[in-house]
Amino acid sequence: MNTNNNVYTVIYTTVICVLVAAILAFVSQSLKPMQQANEKAETISQILTAAKFSDKESLAQQSNQQIIETFKTELDHSALVNAEGKEVKRLGQDEVYSTSDLKAQNYKFADGSYEIPVYIFKNGTHVFPVYGAGLWGPIWGYIAVDKSLTHIVGAYFDHASETPGLGGKIKDDPAFRASFEGKELDLASNHSFEIVKGGAPAGRSNAIDAITGATMTSKGLDAAINDWVGAFKNYIKAAEEE
Amino acid sequence: MSKLKETVLNPIFKGNPITVLILGICSSLAVTVELKGACVMALSVTIVTAVSSLICSIIRKTIPNRVRIIVQLVVVALMVILVDQVLKAFAFAVSKQLSVYIGLIITNCIVMGRIEAFALGNKPIPSFLDGLANGLGYGLILIIVAFFRELLGSGTLFGIPVLSAIGYTNNGLMILPPMALILLGCVVWVQRSIDKTLQEK
Repeated sequence: MNTNNNVYTVIYTTVICVLVAAILAFVSQSLKPMQQANEKAETISQILTAAKFSDKESLAQQSNQQIIETFKTELDHSALVNAEGKEVKRLGQDEVYSTSDLKAQNYKFADGSYEIPVYIFKNGTHVFPVYGAGLWGPIWGYIAVDKSLTHIVGAYFDHASETPGLGGKIKDDPAFRASFEGKELDLASNHSFEIVKGGAPAGRSNAIDAITGATMTSKGLDAAINDWVGAFKNYIKAAEEE
Repeated sequence: MSKLKETVLNPIFKGNPITVLILGICSSLAVTVELKGACVMALSVTIVTAVSSLICSIIRKTIPNRVRIIVQLVVVALMVILVDQVLKAFAFAVSKQLSVYIGLIITNCIVMGRIEAFALGNKPIPSFLDGLANGLGYGLILIIVAFFRELLGSGTLFGIPVLSAIGYTNNGLMILPPMALILLGCVVWVQRSIDKTLQEK
């Protein structure tokens, strides 16, 4: 058979591509429930790590069921907050917003029609999500504050494709995460939290050092934190006045 | 039969894809910080090379010569995405740790190299064994390098404290990619001292 003529080549490649696409679609559909369950457990363990109920390493050893169970016991409730700072809706006890949900809400920041989740724990810790752009792809994370809603007790960040060893440190370097602890969100300022290239000046309570060699990721994280803290501003103010 | 045996044994030592053919260096620097990740990567690459060699060998007579690289790519990409999806469903922590490197198996020269050099000219069973053996040869080096990097860099093996339990201070350099290159150089050195025929004049 002459496998080199044009008609054969076109038909052959078409058939191969359709066949491969069909296999991939089938596999993707059948594995989806399991993948989503894993992603949800991952999100919950990031929230728990930020809120200091556990740490990522020990949660990695636990089953998805155990992680969700811990979350349910510690959680008071989760709510969706709008631009006016009102709780518009309560989420279920084990319901969390995935990264793509956060992304969808991030698009609505421009016109103020967003409804973003805050996770409120029984000990008064509130966890705010943040989402933004790093250097190569999206970055997101969780910032935990105590009852005052401005005093940071912990943070956890993750990324899709930052450079390992440089921008990847927002996730991998425990010292970077730890540098958030004890800092304050300064709502009076437009730049309520700052990640400073070259090192935060001593005594600034709302600034931390940027990561060496990862200027763009640090800037992206700075912007993500300020966008989202800004979006929560009315909520935090309302809670302070109470 | 001895030819089949050679097909299997050659890539593991004498024709090792990493230390002799110097293919797949990039990923071997990236995923050898921990043994667990290295083992999963070794397994994934072995499955991908073996099965895509098998598939390409089965359809080798029907592939139009002018688009053969594209067809190989499609087959390899299919396997890589399948491995990625399965890992995401059943070994999520590992898939997160390996992140982009699973997707990058497709660019691993070993996979395409073996299909182009061997599978397109040989019957399915030898091709499958060739792919399998090359994957194992790759995996072997990965595991050797990861063993030393995890032991000396974190003081652990498979996450279990070994050296750190007896008061060893971790060597941070071991965790960084340059040390993987140096260790790889040591492996090449040891191998060429054992088998003098590999030495270049």
